[in-house]
Parts: sequence; structure tokens; C-alpha cells
Amino acid sequence: MIQETSEQIRKRFLELNVEIESHEIERRLKDLIERFKVPAPEAGRSVVSYFLREHDIKREDYYGTPEGGTASSMQIADINESEQWVNLRAKVTQLWESTSPSIAQVGLIGDETGTIKFVKWAKSNLPALVEGKSYSLENMTTDEWQGRFSVKMNRTTRISELDEEIVTPDQEAQLVEIDAINESNKWVNLRAKVVQLWESEHESIDQIGLIGDETGTIKFVKWTKSELPALVEGKSYSFENLTTDEFEERFSVKFNKGSSIEELDEDIEVGFTATEFAGTMVHIQDGSGLIRRCPICNRALMKGTCMEHGNVDGDHDLRIKAVLDDGERVQEALLNREITESTSGITLDDAKEMAVDALDQGVVLDEMKKRLLGRYYTMAGRVLDRYLLVESVIPMDAVPHSEIDALLAEVT
Amino acid sequence: MAGFTREVAYRIFAQELRDTTVALERDSDDAYAPQYVLTPTGAKVNRVFVVGTLTEKEDIGTDTEYWRARISDPTGASFIYAGQYQPDATRALVDATVADADAETPEFLAVVGKVSIYTTEDGNVLTSLRPETISIVDAETRDRWVLETARQTLDRIKRLEDGSSENLAMVEEHYSLDLEQYRQMVVSALESLV
Repeated sequence: MIQETSEQIRKRFLELNVEIESHEIERRLKDLIERFKVPAPEAGRSVVSYFLREHDIKREDYYGTPEGGTASSMQIADINESEQWVNLRAKVTQLWESTSPSIAQVGLIGDETGTIKFVKWAKSNLPALVEGKSYSLENMTTDEWQGRFSVKMNRTTRISELDEEIVTPDQEAQLVEIDAINESNKWVNLRAKVVQLWESEHESIDQIGLIGDETGTIKFVKWTKSELPALVEGKSYSFENLTTDEFEERFSVKFNKGSSIEELDEDIEVGFTATEFAGTMVHIQDGSGLIRRCPICNRALMKGTCMEHGNVDGDHDLRIKAVLDDGERVQEALLNREITESTSGITLDDAKEMAVDALDQGVVLDEMKKRLLGRYYTMAGRVLDRYLLVESVIPMDAVPHSEIDALLAEVT
Repeated sequence: MAGFTREVAYRIFAQELRDTTVALERDSDDAYAPQYVLTPTGAKVNRVFVVGTLTEKEDIGTDTEYWRARISDPTGASFIYAGQYQPDATRALVDATVADADAETPEFLAVVGKVSIYTTEDGNVLTSLRPETISIVDAETRDRWVLETARQTLDRIKRLEDGSSENLAMVEEHYSLDLEQYRQMVVSALESLV
């Protein structure tokens, strides 16, 4: 291992007309690896740096053309190995929000054969790439994570803008239905309704939530940077030029600067998967019971404050966010006022009275926990992301003797 | 939000919980990794749901209240410990009445909680439950729990027997794999319902 690394370093310096004794390299490597417990690749880097300084050679000259060869000019679809040096002629099709100060730019580049993610390190001091422009990008390294490739730009990378425009076939977004989305990094157009807006957890995200069409629902992310108009819950839109993404086998669509949003006159009917879950209510989440909603946007208030509209005089409502558990799976369930009333036997008026009497609206949740936890229910409704939106609740009846007998017969 | 999934509440009879002696090692790289125990029928459990009769309760706390209670199902009894860090469960426990022959309507406790295992000074391994929620339920709910627990226990026994249980190797390593006693336990639990 040490000898191999040492030999590589020696050869590379030889190509730069510098002769270094093998044992000199080996001694330094060994010292770092064995005595200082430095990981081997890091030790290699450190030793190279030492000799570069010693012989006054630029890093670029050493790393620029690795292994004596040059980076090969490729097309994106041909990238199938990590740690390769490549040159591409590609167009920047998307710039994403950088998630780390060490990353200057991140996004997608594309050529005739496909698109690939790129990362440009802040350290590498390269010129800024502009979305929609085409470049010749030389000396990048390839990387792979979970079977997906990316290219990394480093301080030896050369970026020059091209006069011609690289054609990226994927840029031609197709109008698709939501359940047909099964690949990431695709450009799509959708006609869909905004089903839910969630609280954005990061200032770089302007809006996040769910959109749906007749075939299903999908998560969307709209970046603050892309400066698009605000979406309103319940309205239907035509969306153009979104890109698809995937995380843990669930797909989402992302808006970017090139996306367009147009409100539709029609109301798109959203198709949901109807489902049923039978189990015990093992938990009732915070934010259940007697709550207040913002009179403008209908969002639940937190400590009397709407995230959007500040201090408002909220309207009372009842809801339960429950966890059902059948011993094998858990399902979160959302019960609206009507279902909460019929399941708990506490009406909104009862709840208000209870809260006034106790000078505490928490008593409503306490009473609901007392009445519902540990009981068995069959709940039916539509599944929306994590939640089952409950449309009907049937408490489970007494166990029929025939079921007990049948199981007994099976064991004995 | 991503990546977090709530632990399922396993249905386990008291006898099997009492026989549970194996605490699995926690993933040391993940500070939030849940603690699991391995039961003799091969359930890898962090959380359980049990329903039974409250047969004893006692405040054993010195400065603050700390309750020890016994909850019994048709196969045996489990200990529950609840104190100031489980305020809801503690309150429910304080309100609950200990089963008593004179009670007009029997009262059952439904408990969702985490299982813990500890070794006493003389080397005995004991299991207990730290409740998250306790509620008082009726006899129908208790019966359904017994039936459901019987069915799920049998499923685990079958999966050990036909080799399809992913925890088979661990069970073999730690337990005697005498599954007949647990089959008998299921039978007696079911018979108590008839």
C-alpha cells in the first residue's frame, strides 16, 4: 500500500522532471500513516504537498493531468465510473440552492445525451456558472452516490463559455400525469391542484407541499430564489418546466427559475388512494383537541399566532391527529371536526364550555385521550402523504366467539 | 421528518415479557437509536401495547411520586413504573382503581409503553414497562387485545418454526427455543375468553 502510493508519487514527479528517492517518499508516508494514524489518501496528499513546496511546483501542474494522461472528453450518458477525470460540453440546466458554505454552486448540467448533477466547491475559485448558458468544462472528477453519478469541479477545472448552445433533449418538458413520474432529473409539465401547503422549514424554500391531479398526489418544493408567484391551497394550475427528484423511492417535483405557473379556471379533481386501517389508537399528537385557526388562511394557530398573518383572533375548531397501530404497522390519522365530534362524543360547543370552565383548553385534549386511547377502531379515508384523512370511524365491536374458537382450533 | 418512523407497539403477553431477558445492543453511532429487547418468540421490541387488570399500585417515591403498579393478563403480570417524567400516565394510574371483587364493573388498563430490562443485585433479570399512555378501557377491548395478542404471538412462533423469522438466529443464540410453552400460553389465554 505504502509502496504503491510512493511509486505513484515518484512517477508523477518524474514526469515533471523531478527525481525523488523512493525511500524518502516512503519514509514520510509511513510516518504519517503508522505513527500519526493519518488515513492513507490524506497521507499521500500531504507528502505530495511537501515535495511540491520543496521543488516549487504548482499544485495544478501536479494534479492537472493525472496519471500522465489527460481527462477524457465524454458525453454525460457515458459517465459510469467514479473518480474519473472528464471534460464535458454542457449546458447549465438548473442551479440549486447550495446547502453548504463549502459549495459555491450546485445544480444540473446537460448535453445531448442526458443530465448530471454538478458540484462546484467554494474553495476552487471558479467563475460563476449561469443557468441556461453552455460551457466547455475541462478537468472535472466524477463521483457516485447510491448509483447516481455527479461531476465535481475543482481548482484545476477550466470553464469557458461556448458560443453555440448545447441541446439538452430533457429540457423539452413533457406534459405528464403525476402517477407516471417514476424517474428523477426529468423535466415535466403538470396540470394539478395545490392540495396542501406545509410550513417551510428553511428560508431557502419559499413554498412546499402537495399537488395532485386525477392520478395521484406528489410533493413539490419551490425555492425562494426562483422568484415565482405564490401558490394558493385549493387552486388549480398549469405548471411548466418542473424537474423531478427522488428520495427514498418517493418522488417530488421542484420549481426553478425556468418554471412557469399559470392559474387554471377549471377545478382539477384530485385522485386519492382510498384505504382503511384497523388498529388501536396508541397516541394523540400535540395540536389535537380544541384548536384555533387563522380566519384568513385557516391554518392552525400556534400560541395564538398564525405563521403567515401573525396575531389574529382565531376561530375555534376541533381535530385529532392520532396514531393507529395494529401491532405490525403504524398509521397517522387526521380527524376533522365532524369525525372528532362523532368519535369522541365531544362537540365543539361542549369543548368550548369545558375550556371556559377549566380556564384551559388543554382539558379537551385530556378528555379525548381518556376516551379514545387504547381503543380499537377501523378508520377509512384517503391517504395524503403521511396522513390518513379519515372519512369514517367504526369502533370495533366485541370479539365474536367464533373468532376465538377458530384460532383455538388452529393451535390445538 | 424524513427517515423517522414511529416504533410499532408489539402485542406481547405478560408471561413472554417476564421471560424476556435479552436487551439488544444499541447502535452506538446513533444517539437516537431506540433500545430493543428480544422476546423468546422472536419479537424485536421497543414499544408494547398491553391490556390487563390493575392488581396493585403503590407510590414508592421518596421525594417525588413514583408509582409501581402490577398489571395482569391471563398469562401473568408485568410491572409498570411511572413518575414525574410520565405525567399523563402517572395521573391516569393515580385515578385508576385496583381490581377488587366488590367492584361493580371491572376496569381494565390499556398501556402503551417502552420495555426495559434490568438485573437485580442477586442476578435476577427483570422486565418492566415505562408507560407513555395509560387509559381505562372496557372488557370488550381487553378481549380484543387477548385475541389479537394470541394471533400475533402464534404468528411469531410459526415464523420461528418455519425459519422465516428474521430474528431466528438471535433467538437461537439467546433462548432455548422451547416454543411449546408459548403455544400453551396462547391456548390458555384464548380459553380464558370462552
